[in-house]
Amino acid sequence: MSQINYRTINIDQLDPEASVNFPMETLLPATLPQPGTSSDAANVATQVRQLLRGGDAEGALRAVLDTAPLGGDEGAKQVHLATVTEVLQGIRQGEMTRVLEGVCAGEGGAERADCLMKYIYKGMSSPAPGSGAQSPRNKSVSPQSTGGFSQIQGRNLGEGGGGQQMSVLLNWHEKLVEIAGTGSIVRVMTDRRTV
Amino acid sequence: MSQSLRPYLQCCRSSLTAALAISNFASQTSERHNVPEIEAKSSPELILNPITISRNEHEKLYSGLTCYPDIEPSVNSVRISLSIKQADEIEKVLVHKFTRFLQQRAESFFILRRKPVKGYDISFLVTNYHTEHLLKHQLVEFIITFMEEVDKEVSEMKLFVRIPC
Repeated sequence: MSQINYRTINIDQLDPEASVNFPMETLLPATLPQPGTSSDAANVATQVRQLLRGGDAEGALRAVLDTAPLGGDEGAKQVHLATVTEVLQGIRQGEMTRVLEGVCAGEGGAERADCLMKYIYKGMSSPAPGSGAQSPRNKSVSPQSTGGFSQIQGRNLGEGGGGQQMSVLLNWHEKLVEIAGTGSIVRVMTDRRTV
Repeated sequence: MSQSLRPYLQCCRSSLTAALAISNFASQTSERHNVPEIEAKSSPELILNPITISRNEHEKLYSGLTCYPDIEPSVNSVRISLSIKQADEIEKVLVHKFTRFLQQRAESFFILRRKPVKGYDISFLVTNYHTEHLLKHQLVEFIITFMEEVDKEVSEMKLFVRIPC
C-alpha cells in the first residue's frame, strides 16, 4: 500500500453510495423473461425458418420478435440476431411495408416495433453477423441449421458481401421509422433490456 | 444525393434527430459543475446504449450519449464519431491532414471535438448548450452534410495530388 501514491486513487470507486457504482440491475424491470440459452434460441430459429419456408413472412417476423431473448446470455442473443437477420433478408422489398404494418399492428405491436429496431441497430453495429466468425458457433449449436446459413452467406458474397446485408437493414430501418416514428429509436437508446 | 446513399443518410438523419433529444443535467459528483456526461462517465446510468450505423465496414457513424433515464429524462450530451473511408495510403494521409486541420480550428466549429475518439477519424461533441443555442435540425443537417462532403473533398484532393507539377 505504501508503494502506491494514494493521491491517484479514485476514492469514489470505493464508496458504494457513489454514482460511479450505480447498480445497473435496478434499471431492469422485474417482468423480464427467464434467461434462455443458445440452444433455446436455435430451437426458435428452426421454427421460424419453417414459417418462413411456408411463405408466412409476417408470422415468421412476428414469432421471431416475440421470442427475443431479452434476458438471455450472449450466445443466445447472437443466434437470435442471426435468425432475425435471416428473416429480414428473406422478405422481398415489395412486401416490406405490408409485413411491417401487419407486425406493428394489434396486441404488443409497439413492443415488436421497438424490438425490431433494436435488432436493426444491432445488426448494423456487429459486422456481418451470420457470416465469418459466427457460422462455426452456429454449427456447433444446431447442425440442422447450417444449410440455411451457408446458403445465405453464399448469396451475400455473390452480391457484395456485408454491404448487401447493410442495405437490407437500412431499407428496413427507413420503413420502420415511417411506421413507428423517431420515438422507437429513442427507446432503443434508453432501454436497458438489450437484445 | 445518389440513390444508394439515400437510405443510409436517411437512417443517420433519423438516428441523430432521436439522439439529440438532450437537456440540461448538472453533475452528480460535484456541486455547481455541469459536465458532458458522455465524457465524464461519472455514472453508468447516465450513459445510454450506443448506436452504430454502417453502410459497410469502413463507414460508421457511432453515437454514444448520456441521459438520466428516470421519470424525467434529462439528457445532456451526444458524442458522434465518424470513420472516413480510406482506401489506400494517400487517402490515409489526406484524411489525417484534413481532420487535423479542422481539429486545430475546433473553436470555430463549436461542436467539433479536439481529438477523435480512439478508433475513429473525427468526433463531434454536442451538448445541451449547443442544442439550446443552435437549431437542432440544422445541427443534424450539418453533420449529414459533413459526412457527404468529406468523401468528395478527399477524393478531390487525391486527384490534385496526382497532377504533375
